[in-house]
Amino acid sequence: MTQRYIKLGLTATVLFGAFAALMWSTLQDGTEFFKHVDEVMSNPQQWEGKPLQLHGYVVPGSILKRQDTLEYKFKVQNNPARDSSQGHVVEASYTGIVPDTFKDEAEVVLRGKLTSSGFHTDPNGVVAKCPSKYQEKQGAGL
Amino acid sequence: MASLGTFLLLAAFVTCSYAAVISVAGARRRSRRLIESGIGAFYLICAIMTAASAVLINAFLTGDYSIKYVVHYSDSVQPILYKLTSYWGGLDGSIMFWVFLLSIFGSLAVYVNRERHRELIPYVVATISVVQMFFLFLMVAHKNPFTTYLTAAPTEGEGLNPLLQNFYMAIHPPSLYTGFVGMTIPFAFGIAALITGHLDDSWLRAVRRWTMFSWLFLSFGLTLGMIWAYEELGWGGYWAWDPVENAGLLPWFTATAFLHSVMVQERRSMLRVWNVTLVIVTFFLTIFGTFMTRSGVVQSVHAFGDDPILARLFTGFMVVIVVFSFSLVIWRLPLLKARNELDSWLSREAAFLVNNWVLLFAALFVLFGTMFPTLSEAVTGNRLTVAGAFFNKWMTPVGLILLLLTGVGPLLAWRRSSFSNIGPQFVVPGVAGLAAAAVATVYFKIPIWPSGLCFALCGFVVGTIGQEFYKGAAIRSRNTGTDLFTALVGLVGKNKRRYGGYIVHVGIVLICFGFAGNARKLDEQMMLKLGQETKIGKYTIKSNGVKLVDDGQKQMTTAYLAVFVDGKEIDGLYPAQWRYRRHEQEPTTEVAIRRTPAEDLYAVLGGFDLADQSVTLQLVVNPLVNWIWVGFGIMALGTGIALLPERSFAFALAKMPAEAAATTVAILLMIVLGGGTSVSAQKGMGGDANTRTSFYARTPFEKEMQHEIVCTCGACGHQTLAECRKDPCPVSHEMRGQLAAMIDSGMNDRDKIIQAFIAKYGSEEMLGAPVDRGFSRLAWLFPYLVGATSAIAVGFAAVKWTRKPGAPASAAAPLDSALEERIDDELRDLD
Repeated sequence: MTQRYIKLGLTATVLFGAFAALMWSTLQDGTEFFKHVDEVMSNPQQWEGKPLQLHGYVVPGSILKRQDTLEYKFKVQNNPARDSSQGHVVEASYTGIVPDTFKDEAEVVLRGKLTSSGFHTDPNGVVAKCPSKYQEKQGAGL
Repeated sequence: MASLGTFLLLAAFVTCSYAAVISVAGARRRSRRLIESGIGAFYLICAIMTAASAVLINAFLTGDYSIKYVVHYSDSVQPILYKLTSYWGGLDGSIMFWVFLLSIFGSLAVYVNRERHRELIPYVVATISVVQMFFLFLMVAHKNPFTTYLTAAPTEGEGLNPLLQNFYMAIHPPSLYTGFVGMTIPFAFGIAALITGHLDDSWLRAVRRWTMFSWLFLSFGLTLGMIWAYEELGWGGYWAWDPVENAGLLPWFTATAFLHSVMVQERRSMLRVWNVTLVIVTFFLTIFGTFMTRSGVVQSVHAFGDDPILARLFTGFMVVIVVFSFSLVIWRLPLLKARNELDSWLSREAAFLVNNWVLLFAALFVLFGTMFPTLSEAVTGNRLTVAGAFFNKWMTPVGLILLLLTGVGPLLAWRRSSFSNIGPQFVVPGVAGLAAAAVATVYFKIPIWPSGLCFALCGFVVGTIGQEFYKGAAIRSRNTGTDLFTALVGLVGKNKRRYGGYIVHVGIVLICFGFAGNARKLDEQMMLKLGQETKIGKYTIKSNGVKLVDDGQKQMTTAYLAVFVDGKEIDGLYPAQWRYRRHEQEPTTEVAIRRTPAEDLYAVLGGFDLADQSVTLQLVVNPLVNWIWVGFGIMALGTGIALLPERSFAFALAKMPAEAAATTVAILLMIVLGGGTSVSAQKGMGGDANTRTSFYARTPFEKEMQHEIVCTCGACGHQTLAECRKDPCPVSHEMRGQLAAMIDSGMNDRDKIIQAFIAKYGSEEMLGAPVDRGFSRLAWLFPYLVGATSAIAVGFAAVKWTRKPGAPASAAAPLDSALEERIDDELRDLD
């Protein structure tokens, strides 16, 4: 009987170990840090090159689009546009279709990496929340 | 009216507490009168909740804007259908809808089981009442849908989010809720069995069909959510591993596990603790999923807002559920001892066991991934999020293992198999699998991991199932002397659960087949100027500019795209953006999809410049995606068959199964007809209205066209041109005029007129339904498939229930002794 338990225990340990190792290795490249602009820009060197989800607000009037392309440049600030101070500001670039709700003052989450020349947003990496007062969005039912 | 609603909720709460207390007291004192009183109170809750729902619906229909909830989720121009669905459009109402459904299901379950499971009933009543009390308390104390304005009430509502004004969205939440709420019934029976110690298999029999029924609706709800995401959200996919979606998926995994492991308990009296645990966990996950999405614990694009009070209440309730349920399980462990042990790993019960582990792992993994941002923030202080790619990486092998087990399971015998026994059985499925793999990898050049493997497994499973059907039918045909087809029908009829299950598996295979198509997905974004062309896959897309139309309710911007294949123009695509009044900040994307069985061409209008007529487009080619929806239809068919009573006289013996089946088909029919009736009902009204205003149809053809084209004024709820005349409607008047002018100018071809209207209005909106052409037919096929399923199920049931019991039992002629034994084994079990 004891032998059986030892066997069981060993199998469980091995399986669990393999599972944890796999999980750990996949988590490494599957995860992104969710950060606000202030947290990142108060110490930018530390965050350069790391996968980030950057939360902030589009600085009014900062969105530039190169003619006849899908290249965008814009600035993102930490605090909502109506606040008295902006908080830190970061320059961001993006190529692709922006969501309809992406505009001045919009609350955005950008997926991408920070470099010394600004924040490079991944393809499809712009998520914008609408600035309207419509808060309770009912989604897929639950 | 609002105070009446609040009063009814309070009354329901009081009645619930009475029902719970009196039932427990009755059971402990063995007082029949107390128990009966509890059941009576339980039915009363159902009546009260129905009344409360009527009050709320009435408030929506009459536009009672003194109630905050009504203001938030409706306005006066909304079509009636969406006024009704606003009931569960927000948090408060959805909780109320939850209680309403639970009271109905609970009453039904108690009513049909009150004689057969007399000893369990008081505790079932008590458990469900306590769950209802919790949700009623939420409403009464915190989220009352009948809250009114203290000062001046607005005179107009804010309107339901335009994204939700979609047919699929109207039926998706109730379907999902039905699935969620239905899982409470097995839980209540499980708890009752644990408390009373009546832990033989009888409680399982009472809940098996409930679980199947809830499972069907859960699947249906998930599928509808996918279709909605695909057609309405416009990002080219259907599943994003969003926390809200995951919340629906979690109980689906555990319920699926339960439906499989319950067979092992019935058959071999094993896994008894496991089954009770699965029932509890499934229920827990429905509550947990609700908690996750309602309380703001997890960030989601479409979760309800933050609500710390709600989070605390839910946490308390969940702790109570876990502690109470598992204490009961531990207390009853001696009674739950398995009577058998696993004989061999090469047996069907072992396959079921592995299937259960994998499913449970899937549930735990999705739970972990969903909670990861919250967990990591709590542990490390850094909020880490996981992307969809992480889920895909893990769930792909999980799905493939499950698919493999689907194919292997039926080939194994109960107790033990030997390699020499099962070897020959693997020949046909193996060949089918290899053939599928060869076609996929060599002919279509699809990489072997993961899609090629998925196709191979699809072939393998289909081979297994086909072999099972064929062998079973062949034996039956020999024994009964009928032809193969009759034997096949008889076989299915005689073992509905087993062969229904196989049909469900075929559906699953088709769904996986559709998922595997993702390997060849193309997704591109570009900007096109007027007349410019671009290529995606085999298609060449040419932009013919962009146009803006305002119909009074919304601004519609439509891009005109021509689709070429091999230099020939084959179709036009008209993706659009609509901006509704009062929702200008939230434009809705009107996706244009060209459907074919092989692939969808999917176009989204991302941006536009009216001045230089340039458009920004997202173009997606989605191979095989339609097979997912077809797969669900087949799954529904299989479940419908499995839900039918096992034997004709089972109808009289076990009322619940029959009613569950009947309810299922009735509800499915309702859902399907729901789409159709709105059209047909309106057609019925058309005649007399015709005489009121101008442009009545002068010819039968014009009349037909007037019935085909829908008014775009937005205020009439998409009535046809022939009908939208009650208030003088300038839009429909104008459209009728245009139609008349077209016919006068000699256009007498239906398609030409429709094309002209599409070109004029820039979308297919004025068509009452998708164009019945090409593969848009699939959009038609889906509801009909479900409908046909229901019709067949109803017919089947009707025939079955009217037939006299005691079909002649057939003596089996030995042929392949191993197979024979196996089939015999199972027939004995199921018949």
